Amino acid sequence: MSKLVTGDGRTHIDSPLMGESLVDRRVTARTHSEREVAILPDVVFVSIGGQSIFDRGKSAILPLVQEIAALRPKHKMVLSVGGGTRVRHTVSVAMDLGLPTGGVAQLVGAMEEANAVFLNALLAKHGSIVMQREHFWELPLYLSTGMLPIVISTPPYHFWEPPPEEGALPAHGSDFGVFIHAEVLGVSDIVFVKDEDGMYDKDPKKHADAKLLKRATLDEFSRAMPAELILDRQLFSAWKNARHVRRIQIVNGLRPGELSRALAREDAGTVLEREVTHV
Amino acid sequence: MSETPARKRIESALADSPLTTADTSFDYRPVALMPDVKVLKIGGQSIMDRGRKAVFPILDEIAAAKDKHKLLLCTGGGTRARHVYSVASDLELPTGLLAALGGYVPRQNARMMQMLLAKHGGIYIMNDDFEKLPLYFRLGCIPIMTGMPPFGYWEKPAENSRIPAHRTDAGVFLTAEVLGARRAIFVKDEAGLFEDDPKKNRSAKHIPRISARELIAMDLPDLVVERVVIEYLGRARYCSELQIVNGLERGMLTRALEGEDVGTIITR
Repeated sequence: MSKLVTGDGRTHIDSPLMGESLVDRRVTARTHSEREVAILPDVVFVSIGGQSIFDRGKSAILPLVQEIAALRPKHKMVLSVGGGTRVRHTVSVAMDLGLPTGGVAQLVGAMEEANAVFLNALLAKHGSIVMQREHFWELPLYLSTGMLPIVISTPPYHFWEPPPEEGALPAHGSDFGVFIHAEVLGVSDIVFVKDEDGMYDKDPKKHADAKLLKRATLDEFSRAMPAELILDRQLFSAWKNARHVRRIQIVNGLRPGELSRALAREDAGTVLEREVTHV
Repeated sequence: MSETPARKRIESALADSPLTTADTSFDYRPVALMPDVKVLKIGGQSIMDRGRKAVFPILDEIAAAKDKHKLLLCTGGGTRARHVYSVASDLELPTGLLAALGGYVPRQNARMMQMLLAKHGGIYIMNDDFEKLPLYFRLGCIPIMTGMPPFGYWEKPAENSRIPAHRTDAGVFLTAEVLGARRAIFVKDEAGLFEDDPKKNRSAKHIPRISARELIAMDLPDLVVERVVIEYLGRARYCSELQIVNGLERGMLTRALEGEDVGTIITR
C-alpha cells in the first residue's frame, strides 16, 4: 500500500512523481521507455472517405460495402467514415458567422456521425455497429464476436480544439482522429480508402501532371511534404512521436479489390511506413 | 473502371477544400462567445492537496466575488494524478490511456469544490454541459468543471515522455480561448514565476510580467504552466494573457478578479 507523505502543507501519495512538476523535462523523461503495451495489436483500421467515396452515392458505396463484408471473416477491422461535403458546408457557414475554432470543432462530428449511420444501415446484416466514444472499451467484445465496429473518427477535442498554427480551421480532423485512435490501441496498420490511387505530389484533380507516390518512409515523406495533402497534416506530425502505427496505406476505393490488396499488405496505392524503435 | 460517379456536393466556400491543411483564403471575423467570463483554475497539488487550510479561504473569496463576476471554476489534479501517471508509466501504457485515467482526479476535485460551494450556487458541470453556461450564470450559479480537456484516449503521444501534453492548464486556457476571455487565472501556491524554484530558494526573484516568447527563449527545464499553453498563447485570438496568483495569500484572487496585475502575467 502506498504511503501518505505530509510535512510541506500538502498531502502526497508516495510515488516516483510525488511532488514533482509534470512540466519539468527531467521528470517527464523518466516516464518514457522504449516499450509500450499494444492494447489490440492484431486489428486494422479502415477509413472510408466522406467526400471521396460517400458523397458519390450508391455506385461507389455498394461495391465497397460488398468487399468489406467479404473481408470481415479474415480481418479484425475497425471502420470509420468521413463527413464529406456537409462538413465543408458546415465549416463554410461557421467561418462566415465568425464562430471560434473550438466552436467549429464542436459542430463537424455530427455530419460524419450521419455517414456512420448510413454505413451501418448497409453493413448491419454483416455485423456492423456504430460505436459511441463512451463505449471505447467495448471494442474487444465486438471484435472477438466477429462484428464490424464503426467508430467516430473526428477526435473529441470539441470546444477545446487548440488554436491552429495558421488560419482558423480546426487542425485535428477525421484522418488525424482515426490515426490517434489506432495509435492508442497499439494498432500498426491503417488503410485510407479514397477516390485517388494514393498520395500525389500535388492534387491530381487540379493538376494533370501530378505524380503518384508509391512508397515512402515517414522521414522521406516529411522531408518533401506536398502542399496539397490527401490526409490531415496533423496526422504526420503526430506520427513522428507515435509508438505503434507503422504502415499507412491509401488506396482507391472506386477500384474493386484495392482494399482487399491493402489488407493483404500488398503494394496498392501509396504505402507510407515508419521505422518504429518502440516495441 | 466504369465511369466515376460524381460527388453529390453542396456549394460552399470550402466545397473543394480537402480540409487537410490550413486555409486562409476567406474573410474571417471571429465573434467572442462570452468574453466577460472569468475562467479560474484551482490548482490540484498546489491548493486542493493542502486541504481545508488552503481551500476554505479561497472559497470565501469566490463566494464574495460570485455576484460581481461570472466565475467558471476548473480544477487541477494533484498528487493522485501523479500516482496514476506513475503506475501507468510503470506498466508502459500509452499516453492516451494516461490522459483518460488522469481525467478522473480533477473530476473528483471539481465535485469536492461543488459540495463546498453548493450553498453559494456551486454546480458541477461536465464538458458536455458547456453550452448551458449562460443559464448557470443567469441563475447566479458558480459552474465547476474539470480542467482537463476532453481529449482522453485521443491525446497525442508525447515526445520523450508518457505524460499527456494537454492537462488541466491546457484545458483552462482552451476554455478561456473558446469563450473569448482575455485572461485565464491560475490559482496556485506561489505568486507565479520566479528566477529559481521558490520552494527550494526562498530569495528567488519574482518575475511580474513576461512574454511567451521570452519564456520560450529562456528554455527552462521546468515551467510554471504546461508547455503547450505557452505555445498556444502565441497563436491565440482571445486569451492573450495568463495570470498566476498565490491563492494562499489572502485577497490575491479577489484582486486578480478585479483586473489587478498581481502575481505573474504571461503575455502573448
